[in-house]
Amino acid sequence: MPDYDVVVIGAGNGGLTSALTLAKAGRKVLLLERHNVPGGCATSFVRGRFEFEVALHQLSGMGSPENPGPLRAILGEMGVLDKLEFVEMENLYRVVVPGQFDITLKCERNLITRELQDRFPKEKEGIVKFFDLVYDCSMQMIQGLFFHDPEISKEKYPLYFKYALKNTQDILDGFFDDPLLKAVLSIYWSYLGVPPSSLPFGEFAIMLFAYIEFKPYHLKGGSQALSNALLDEYLRGGGEVRFNCAAKRIIVADSRVKGVITEDGDTISTDYVVSNASTLLTYIELIGREHIPAGQMEQFKSSTIGPAAFTVYAGLDCEPGEVGIQETTNFISTTTDMDGAFGKWKTLEQQGVSLLTCYDVSDPDFSPPGTCQAAIVALQYAEPWYSVPPQQYYDTKYRYADGLLNLAERVFPGFRGHIEEVEASTPLTHLRYLGHPGGAIYGFDQYAKDSTLFLSPRSAIKGLYFAGAWVGSGGFQPTLTSGRTSGRAILKSMRKQQ
Amino acid sequence: MGFQDVMKDIEGYQDIQRDIEILKKYGIDYSSQRGSVEHSINLFHPKKIRLGVSEIQQETGTTRTLRLVPKDGYLPPFQAGQYINVFVDVAGIRTSRPYSISSSPGQTAYYDITVRRVSDGFVSEYLLDEIRVGDELESSGPAGTFNYNPLFHGDDLVFLAGGSGITPFMSMIREVTDRNLNRRIHLIYGCDSPDDVIFAEELARRAENHPNFSWDLVISTPPQGYQGLTGFITAGLMKQVLGDLAGRMFYLCGPEAMYAFCDKELSGLGIPKRKIRIEMYGSPRDVTRQPGWPSGVKAEAVFNVAVKGKKIIEARACEPLMISLERAGLAIPALCRSGECSLCRTRLLTGKVYQPAGVKLRKSDRRFGYIHACMAYPLEDLEIMI
Ligand SMILES: Cc1cc2nc3c(=O)[nH]c(=O)nc-3n(C[C@H](O)[C@H](O)[C@H](O)COP(=O)(O)OP(=O)(O)OC[C@H]3O[C@@H](n4cnc5c(N)ncnc54)[C@H](O)[C@@H]3O)c2cc1C
Ligand code: FES
Repeated sequence: MPDYDVVVIGAGNGGLTSALTLAKAGRKVLLLERHNVPGGCATSFVRGRFEFEVALHQLSGMGSPENPGPLRAILGEMGVLDKLEFVEMENLYRVVVPGQFDITLKCERNLITRELQDRFPKEKEGIVKFFDLVYDCSMQMIQGLFFHDPEISKEKYPLYFKYALKNTQDILDGFFDDPLLKAVLSIYWSYLGVPPSSLPFGEFAIMLFAYIEFKPYHLKGGSQALSNALLDEYLRGGGEVRFNCAAKRIIVADSRVKGVITEDGDTISTDYVVSNASTLLTYIELIGREHIPAGQMEQFKSSTIGPAAFTVYAGLDCEPGEVGIQETTNFISTTTDMDGAFGKWKTLEQQGVSLLTCYDVSDPDFSPPGTCQAAIVALQYAEPWYSVPPQQYYDTKYRYADGLLNLAERVFPGFRGHIEEVEASTPLTHLRYLGHPGGAIYGFDQYAKDSTLFLSPRSAIKGLYFAGAWVGSGGFQPTLTSGRTSGRAILKSMRKQQ
Repeated sequence: MGFQDVMKDIEGYQDIQRDIEILKKYGIDYSSQRGSVEHSINLFHPKKIRLGVSEIQQETGTTRTLRLVPKDGYLPPFQAGQYINVFVDVAGIRTSRPYSISSSPGQTAYYDITVRRVSDGFVSEYLLDEIRVGDELESSGPAGTFNYNPLFHGDDLVFLAGGSGITPFMSMIREVTDRNLNRRIHLIYGCDSPDDVIFAEELARRAENHPNFSWDLVISTPPQGYQGLTGFITAGLMKQVLGDLAGRMFYLCGPEAMYAFCDKELSGLGIPKRKIRIEMYGSPRDVTRQPGWPSGVKAEAVFNVAVKGKKIIEARACEPLMISLERAGLAIPALCRSGECSLCRTRLLTGKVYQPAGVKLRKSDRRFGYIHACMAYPLEDLEIMI
């Protein structure tokens, strides 16, 4: 008898739902986490009287109890819904081009269309047609793919088959002339980490559709509350966890998982491992050259490490309204050239698109009374940070953060004067806390070629499974879902063995 | 036709497939990147640093500076005001204590820590009496948030130091004066007696040579005939030596008695919270005198703590749980030992603990029963999971 039925490496979103799915099914599970808290990205940290949310800006796929989305269903299945309090956001987002343009989109298709038509009267018709396409394409994707229609075909779902892999920029160019309108409509590209010119339209459409239909959410206590709730349920279900305990090796023999060695030198026997660590490091560090299946390194060759983020976490000693913050989600864009903005992610130059989220607008209890917090985030690759000499790291970080704070000040005059606490994190910060190459928060870059249409997340090593952003898309909803998927796959394989 | 085959009908599928085949030949070979993530982490935040003592400097009758050089040739950068947690084995017990780095961050060859004897101190005595030049120590990487933050601290700083609380300030003063940075610092340094003043000569010298640094010494129990400021760092004294207070950032580091006192004085002066930075400087000397300590529990009380899956240990009410665990040979991860970094986050399964107000627990950690063991005191028998 092996020590455990399954060892799960990493307590990020994917690791947690995987471990929980298995524990709930009565399996003996051990969860190993190198850090001292569960959550991976889904975490928080405390400075002064503020608890800063690290990652969650807008939770997708939740939906209301009356109109539940796929994520609500999963969290219900995980048994954590009644331990958490979800907060629906009133509006989709605001886009500001400082000194030039300012628009807030509601969370309803008709209202969005009307607002956009008022602001861009010349594009009236295109706006209607664009949303028709977004919706129709998404519906076909849901019916054909998510509900696994066995009769899926080009004829039955023509829009999906025509547009899914087209790039989003081409679609936008086909409908609209005004670059500002295109920027406003496609601003969620920055959540996916790929600029409209290389973003598969299918993915963009379903994301926009889901945020509008299921509304963006946050939750009380932030994403750490979710991670804690999942872990709590896991422990109640008999699961075991070790924090501050990284997996150092996965023992493989004859292309089968045999066990795991921890950083403390413990050897744990098991036939199944779920890795929530990056697929890349799982192979090159944990499994080791001699056991990497043939073809695996070739498969990696076509992928590139995705972006991390630069974030300024600011705690203000005033209510949001006092500095003019009226919306939770504020995209600040100094350009309408999205390819140009994406290009800056690989530099230390000031970003073209950043996002200021103020949770207190939707949830007045988020920060202590009379205060609020704002996270100003700009996605960024780790590369430029690798070439900063360690001795200049802190100065460079502050200089970069200063630029983002100045931007916030332009949109919200008085912002800087109210700062009581501020912390900045770089891609190297994510690298440190997640242990992922490049600190990547969405795994590999998600170009069309990186989708599961082309790459199989399955391993040639028997008993090895993955969960999280490195096998599929990043983001809360996809990673929470992926853990359940791998957990179920293991249960299925176990049933077959018996 | 299987699902994957149907998918090939998506427009553009074949082109992408072709791209992938090309990239498989000419893309990135990741196998050479083994160890690179760990390397990047270790440049800034190694889990442990091996240090050698290269020099010991007597500062005052009760204080010495240990100069620590890297055994492996490299020290990570730090921000003036940060600390390292020094791990030691004393009398068979594995424990640790955080010490602010007193040398300038511009000094990449060594970290200085300045250790003052604490009455009935455990580790301070060991570092002062047992450690010799050439000995080896182990520490964490630099950590902590009591550092100058250019994003909102401004350039007019007031340091309020008490006793050994001068150490983080010394690093900041050295950095600003050595690098001729555009910041003004005024230090108000409170000590018991003139003999206790650490770095007196150097402070005087730097004040003389650098117009942007000045200081005042305040002696609380002055000898007869002492010339100079005496008493505590009161609101009146601050107004007297500082003049205009507007726009200045106040930093506080010293014994816990000083926090409560100075904090009150500062708010009396109308200094807003955002202009006050406080270093949590270890656990309270006498926890039973902290606000909210239940009157029914005596300092000497001893409780049983069941550590799930390990053993049952004894824990004194007046001692942080972390120390009782260390005494029992169950050292848990430690860094700040002041309740703020959360590294010692521990699950409390049953029983009640006391945690002083400054402990920085996450809201949901509190809700799901986690404590910071370095600042949690048992109030009854407990069951915990480490
Ligand atoms: C600033 C920021 C903003 C974001 N905004 C949003 C948003 O608004 N909406 C959204 O949906 N998503 C957002 N995301 C993305 C989302 O948070 C991530 O994509 C998602 O949480 C990744 O989950 P994961 O399962 O891949 O695990 P990760 O979060 O990547 O966690 C992996 C875990 O594995 C552990 N681990 C790694 N190696 C080992 C080892 N050898 N042994 C043991 N443990 C190991 C790590 O410590 C970590 O805990 C954001 C992320 C960031 C950082
Ligand atoms: S060691 Fe930092 S909180 Fe306990």
